Amino acid sequence: MMLGFFKRAAPAVDACELGRSVVALAVPAGAAPPAGCQAVVVGTDGRTRRLQAARKIEAREGETAYAFHPGPYTADLQPFEAAPEIGLRTSFAVDAPDPQASQQRFDLYLAAEVAGRLELAAQVAAIEAALRHELATGGLDLPPCTTLDEWNAFRQGLNQLLYMRFGITVDDCVPVDLGETRDFAQVLAARAAAPAEAIVSAAPAAQPTANAPGERFDPAAADAKALRRLFLELPCLMCGLRLAAMPAEPAQFQRQQALLQRLDLVSVGVNAMPALALAAPNQPLPAMEQSRRARHSRRACVSLDEAWALLARLRQAGEAALPQLYGEAERIVANLEADCAGRRSVSADEEAA
Amino acid sequence: MSAIPDTVQYRCPLADGSVLTLTATRRPRLNRAEVKCSVPGDARLAERMQQVLRLARLTEAGFDTRDQVVLSLDRCPPEGERGWELAAVLADRGVRGLLRLPPGLLANGWSDAWERGRVAGHTLTTAPGGEILLGGAGGLPHLGLLSGHADPGAAVSTARAWFPLYSGEAGGMAWVEVSVHPLAQAPGAEPQEEEQTIAAPGHDAARQLAVRQVLCGARHFDGRALGRWRTAVRFGGGEFAGRSWELALVMADRLARGREFVPRGRLIASGASSAWHAGRIDAVEGIEAKCALLLCEAGPGDRILLPRAWQEGLPAGFAEQLRMQGASLACVERIGII
Repeated sequence: MMLGFFKRAAPAVDACELGRSVVALAVPAGAAPPAGCQAVVVGTDGRTRRLQAARKIEAREGETAYAFHPGPYTADLQPFEAAPEIGLRTSFAVDAPDPQASQQRFDLYLAAEVAGRLELAAQVAAIEAALRHELATGGLDLPPCTTLDEWNAFRQGLNQLLYMRFGITVDDCVPVDLGETRDFAQVLAARAAAPAEAIVSAAPAAQPTANAPGERFDPAAADAKALRRLFLELPCLMCGLRLAAMPAEPAQFQRQQALLQRLDLVSVGVNAMPALALAAPNQPLPAMEQSRRARHSRRACVSLDEAWALLARLRQAGEAALPQLYGEAERIVANLEADCAGRRSVSADEEAA
Repeated sequence: MSAIPDTVQYRCPLADGSVLTLTATRRPRLNRAEVKCSVPGDARLAERMQQVLRLARLTEAGFDTRDQVVLSLDRCPPEGERGWELAAVLADRGVRGLLRLPPGLLANGWSDAWERGRVAGHTLTTAPGGEILLGGAGGLPHLGLLSGHADPGAAVSTARAWFPLYSGEAGGMAWVEVSVHPLAQAPGAEPQEEEQTIAAPGHDAARQLAVRQVLCGARHFDGRALGRWRTAVRFGGGEFAGRSWELALVMADRLARGREFVPRGRLIASGASSAWHAGRIDAVEGIEAKCALLLCEAGPGDRILLPRAWQEGLPAGFAEQLRMQGASLACVERIGII
């Protein structure tokens, strides 16, 4: 007992960047959470718990403890790739825990998508990607010569989107002229001067696809990451869909129930997904097929992102908008089903005909 | 809202003078491949066609696995002919409602970089008559340009905006295209007059002067635009008179210079100004004819900008009707945010 009393606290991690360039950081169990930070413990099964005002982080064997700084952080988002000189100066913070929710969205984000360290730059890039995808698909609208009403609608949509997707709240967001820091003319001049190969890398990151081989990535790592996301997030998505709206109209209610059932089946399928490298027990799968499977699981994550964004729209939609949003949900669920089936199949010929 | 067609048919004139017909249909996928192609008597060409479509689909924002698109050629094109590629890509998009193109469209173009949406050129040797969409520089160098968007990887930034025409029997949509490239300035050299860096090739002196004055004024208002760009302006879609193209020109210029929010679809604008240097937009003529035309033309994602002075005079239910079609309307007093 006395020995335990005199034992020194575990050495401090490089926590001084927390709240500045790092949002969240894995800390060893037994350490005290850095000043101003909160702690989340993530189990191997993805379950999370928040440690409220703990003086020492208690984590069991196999669990990872994260310390995160709630912020606020400020970043200049560039909502359109083609318009580098106009941006949104956004300040956001990790929300105070919502006492009604059984699991905080930010904790789920840490558990499902973060490995060890969440840099502010990575967080901002993820926010920007989510924003651009919504603008490109029409979930959010930020047209030229935005009127005040349109701006307010955009702000509400953005707040909901970032809360549902990352569990962060937007404190402030104003359009800014980024001309001082980003010079589009220099970008164009660099493209003209660069050899053809460099222009390729400047092109937009293509959306992952299932049937166009060519790009290089590590199938095993990408697949494991994607399946972890699907495994952890699908149950929460279903819960969110159930809570988001209670359709009064019988037809819409039936659509919602059908969607939930299909999502349930997808979720069961994800939990019983075959190993990436095996076609059958003791039968290895060729590398080409492995990367095809990994592309499918990665594309399923795109649908997952779309589903969170749709949930954000559902939460602020009225009964009148439900048919259109459920139509969108049916598309997303169909995409999820198709990609899960593709991930399961042994060869591409099975699906083609 | 207009329903998405189940079938589209586009045509592709070939170098030997004959015309190829492409038919695309859409049906539930039912676990089949998302694209199926058939060419009479040439399975390898069908495979190549499927690859082209899959690559071109990489440039789309979303995807829907519920539909299967079946695309066929009416006969086997001559060996080495690649002009059908553009028509195939457009048919694949048209049948899924992603693009609204006139039925029976003529198109010719090929590319080695469909995954980036580039169109390298066309295979026609003689200049064809009539309305035809040709790939490559001078025609359609990038698929995004069909809705006015700039190629995100190109060294010259090109954007388009549309404006409605109403005069005479030739009503319809015309477009203005602005291409900007950084102005190379020799160190120590006298800075060039902004007007000297703007060109509108193929237009008479009066139109040239008008284009230069409008752009100089609007760039003066912008604050961070003077002395940075070499600019080329191109018009298309018909003859026109009057000044209502000015707003479209100014907006295309702002889009090309990367200083404006980008609409999902086309930007359609009508408006002029006597004081572009203040960013103000004045009323133009032809409100009834233009509004009727806009209702016919507006599609999903389009952004329509009209002068603020028109707000009271708009036909009843105009904005709601546009919203039903997926377009959005703003009557603006000045350019810029809010």
